[in-house]
Amino acid sequence: MLKTRIIPCLDVIKNKVVKGVNFKNIKVMGNAVEMARYYSLSGADELCMLDINASYQNRKTFIKTVEAIAKVINIPLTVGGGISVLDDITDLLNSGADKVSINSAAVKNPKLIRQASLKHGSQCIVVAIDGKRHENKMKVVVKGGREITKKELIAWAKQVQSLGAGEILMTSMDTDGVQNGFDSSMLKKVTSNVTIPVIASGGVGNLEHFYLGHLTKSTGLLAASVFHSGKYKIQSVKKYLKNKGVPVRL
Amino acid sequence: MRKKVIGLIDGQSGNIGSINKAIKEIIKGRPYQLKIIRGEFDYSLFNKIILPGQGAYATLISNLKKLKIYKPLKKYLENNCSYLGICVGMQILSDQGHEDKTTRGLGIISGEIKKFKSKKLIIPHMGWNSISLNKEDPIITNNLDNKDFYFVHSYIFQNIKKSNVLANTHYGKKFPSIIKKGNIYGVQFHPEKSHKYGLNLIKNYILKS
Repeated sequence: MLKTRIIPCLDVIKNKVVKGVNFKNIKVMGNAVEMARYYSLSGADELCMLDINASYQNRKTFIKTVEAIAKVINIPLTVGGGISVLDDITDLLNSGADKVSINSAAVKNPKLIRQASLKHGSQCIVVAIDGKRHENKMKVVVKGGREITKKELIAWAKQVQSLGAGEILMTSMDTDGVQNGFDSSMLKKVTSNVTIPVIASGGVGNLEHFYLGHLTKSTGLLAASVFHSGKYKIQSVKKYLKNKGVPVRL
Repeated sequence: MRKKVIGLIDGQSGNIGSINKAIKEIIKGRPYQLKIIRGEFDYSLFNKIILPGQGAYATLISNLKKLKIYKPLKKYLENNCSYLGICVGMQILSDQGHEDKTTRGLGIISGEIKKFKSKKLIIPHMGWNSISLNKEDPIITNNLDNKDFYFVHSYIFQNIKKSNVLANTHYGKKFPSIIKKGNIYGVQFHPEKSHKYGLNLIKNYILKS
């Protein structure tokens, strides 16, 4: 039986894992390579890492960090952030990423999804979608939720699937960072409208939240703070889910 | 003693970094050497060949032809030499693949590659799923039975002889996840991404098969 994936997410600047996207209060949580190694050993099903400050200078160090992480883990690695053209995707895959996550570049230029999936295969193209409710509609947002686009969330999710995305990483900006749980209604809306896998992201604060995330039919559950802070170990989340009858890899 | 030579084919179908790293770890301090195959090669120089693949069946076949790997590889396989095909590297052992268009495969293990056929299934089949063994084999000693491995694929090996199936996996329905004919193996999952049990399988293939 296919297992629900538990995916720690590393927000990275250069080679450090940092907390939050509030650039005013960046807190270093640890060394990215060391944390990646730890998560791989302790039962993470996949690892996600995002370059959250992909400036020209930081990028080189970040790419080196991707290479270093790929060498110390033996689970799949998804890398996102700082992608604007097809070459950026090729570079990341050559650096050891198994999958690449495209967000605002895909919104700006949806053709990039098709080009990337034709060149590298759908299985390694993840489209990250940030969603937010606006005037009673679910919209696609970019720039960490600060800019609301014209795109309707569900229409966009269907479109990225038809363009060849292999997976959707769905973050609700209405719940992200608040630790009150995933955005179940938004996630259910997305999972019921696409046939590709959906990873739920944004809002995990306690164990029950993981279970509620599973109920949205998301096959991957992504979390950052609850793992980085040491509040939960990956295995304790999995044991909890197993007791609830959710298939997990122990 | 002459070292045994393991060939790792770079078919430009996904990165070979993880499998390269896994093989190096396994053969460290042992009488083996690893050679990356990127073009035409003399198949008689290799004791084992591993071909990892991602993406589309037709793309891998055409890459192998372009790189002049296809012919020596086919000869190598027709001589029943030791091979491990991973994911699409397994699928191309079949007679044909039906991904976008129909493409002829290597024709080593009879069967064809078809898409998962269910409207209810989430496709690709992506994530960790368990294998259940059909029969004993050196590369899957009992401790790997029922263990989870990492899969990512939309197509499966069909119309295969039961005697060529070493293990099955269930997703919507049962499909072959490890196949074997003579000295030729194929695994539908990615052992190089499957943590310790994946490493065990690669190790078994290199050292025991």
